[in-house]
Amino acid sequence: MDATTVVADTSNAVQATPHTLKLLDMDEIFGKIFNLESATKAIRIALMVLIGLIVVGIIVTLIKKLSGKRMDSRTGGFIVKTVQYAGFALILINAFKIANIDLSALLGAAGIAGIALGFAAQTSVSNFISGIFLMYEKTFAEGDIVTVDDTTGVVHSIDALSVKLRTFDNRFVRIPNETLIKTNVINVTRFPLRRLNIKLTVTYDTDIERARQILMETAAANPGVLRKPDPFFMVQSFGANGIDLFLGVWFANSDWEQANNGMYLEIKKSFDAAGIEFAYPTMTIYPKKS
Amino acid sequence: MWKQYDLPKSEGTRIHRAGKTVLYVAVEVAGEGEVLAALVSYANASIATTRRKTKDVLAVPPLDDPAWSRYYMGASSTYDIVPGYPDIPVCIKLREPFFLPPSADLRGWIFSHVEARIVVGGSTVASYPLTRPFKTLYGIPEAGIICRHDEADFLASNEPVIDTLNEDPGLVAHPVRLRNTSSEPVLVDELCIYGEQLSILGDGSRMQSERLLFIFSGSGVRMSLEGQTELPAGWTQIAKPRVSGEERFIVRSIELFRAMTRM
Repeated sequence: MDATTVVADTSNAVQATPHTLKLLDMDEIFGKIFNLESATKAIRIALMVLIGLIVVGIIVTLIKKLSGKRMDSRTGGFIVKTVQYAGFALILINAFKIANIDLSALLGAAGIAGIALGFAAQTSVSNFISGIFLMYEKTFAEGDIVTVDDTTGVVHSIDALSVKLRTFDNRFVRIPNETLIKTNVINVTRFPLRRLNIKLTVTYDTDIERARQILMETAAANPGVLRKPDPFFMVQSFGANGIDLFLGVWFANSDWEQANNGMYLEIKKSFDAAGIEFAYPTMTIYPKKS
Repeated sequence: MWKQYDLPKSEGTRIHRAGKTVLYVAVEVAGEGEVLAALVSYANASIATTRRKTKDVLAVPPLDDPAWSRYYMGASSTYDIVPGYPDIPVCIKLREPFFLPPSADLRGWIFSHVEARIVVGGSTVASYPLTRPFKTLYGIPEAGIICRHDEADFLASNEPVIDTLNEDPGLVAHPVRLRNTSSEPVLVDELCIYGEQLSILGDGSRMQSERLLFIFSGSGVRMSLEGQTELPAGWTQIAKPRVSGEERFIVRSIELFRAMTRM
């Protein structure tokens, strides 16, 4: 072997060595990753995830069935979601444990990330917590008619962050849970019955006793008006334009629309027939005598 | 009144009377089929019609008036009129309320109005109350029950009073037992009956339910079935209860639980 050859061989060797080393490293790395032990771990994790998902699925299905019969959809949905997420978290923690991944570092990072996320998702968290309070108070349920600020509608769905209403003119309104906690909410259908408050103003020449009799007879003739509690009549005041009268009649929620219209129509007819006039804003002008 | 009828094809409007209430039935031809038209009229009141208003007169509006309700007969040429309890409970207001002393155990009778159900081919197509269908609240406004309003006398008697029923075939008699288990006298001014738990037993013209037990206690009043009373010969079960006592008990328990927990 001559020097040139040696040099050439050495250069070849020098050039060849890194490739060989690289191949060896990759082999070693692949060997470390894809060995029998890691394959067993992967299979164990896959099996655990599969069995875990099946178990969580069965538990969630059972809770859904039980809660569907015994609770309102909001409470049931909340419990189902909580159990579902808790199940997923358990599966994830177990998977890390089997893979021998130290969770303490991850949890530390998650803590820092949580604080950052907390600031970022302040509104969402507030809505979520408000939702829990709303659920505890049970102010309304799906299907109830509620008034929030100036919006009245049927509760369409109650979710973690907001409540959705369908208004009577068929609009879809999303109200954040935080708003519901802060404002007055009127649940119109909470109780099985409701009072219709009719305020009337009649002229000063009206016989109030006669007007009272007509109003009570009209209420008694309306099949939607409940016999008990009794209709309630009151003279409210001698107003600027006439005598202010009040009639309160009770209806079942289901009869509200029909009975409400029936009462107003019949009162108008009866007053017209009896010659009782409704008062409207009037002004008496006296000419100044010089 | 409670039997099967052929369609009144050639006799105009047929009249079924139950006391002072009248149920009109007529038939219209619609293509190759027939349509049954029905209308109810209560005593001392006008029949609701858009065309005219009549008072205290048996003037029936024409068949094209919207006051009539219509049902397609299909292949059936007959209809049944059967009695049934209203879908909602009946709150019977006693015309003469009375006080029940502590530890009292009183037996007697009350009456309520049933509904006339028109059944075609085994299916109920309409149900008409046989007294003007007013409603009332039994209980308190926060948690009471909306009931059908009815009025009756309480007859304190152990003896059968079924002859009273001849006056109005729309009435069903309820043998009742009232017990006061509280230490105070209680005012008995109304009794609430859950018709869905009751049968109708009768002979075609007179009707009776099972015996009802009302227990007045410090926490309120509770209705339950006390069992069957002795029936005259030939009486049969005309209508079965819509729900069994056990079902109703479970439903009521859940209602109570939900009311208490608002869940």
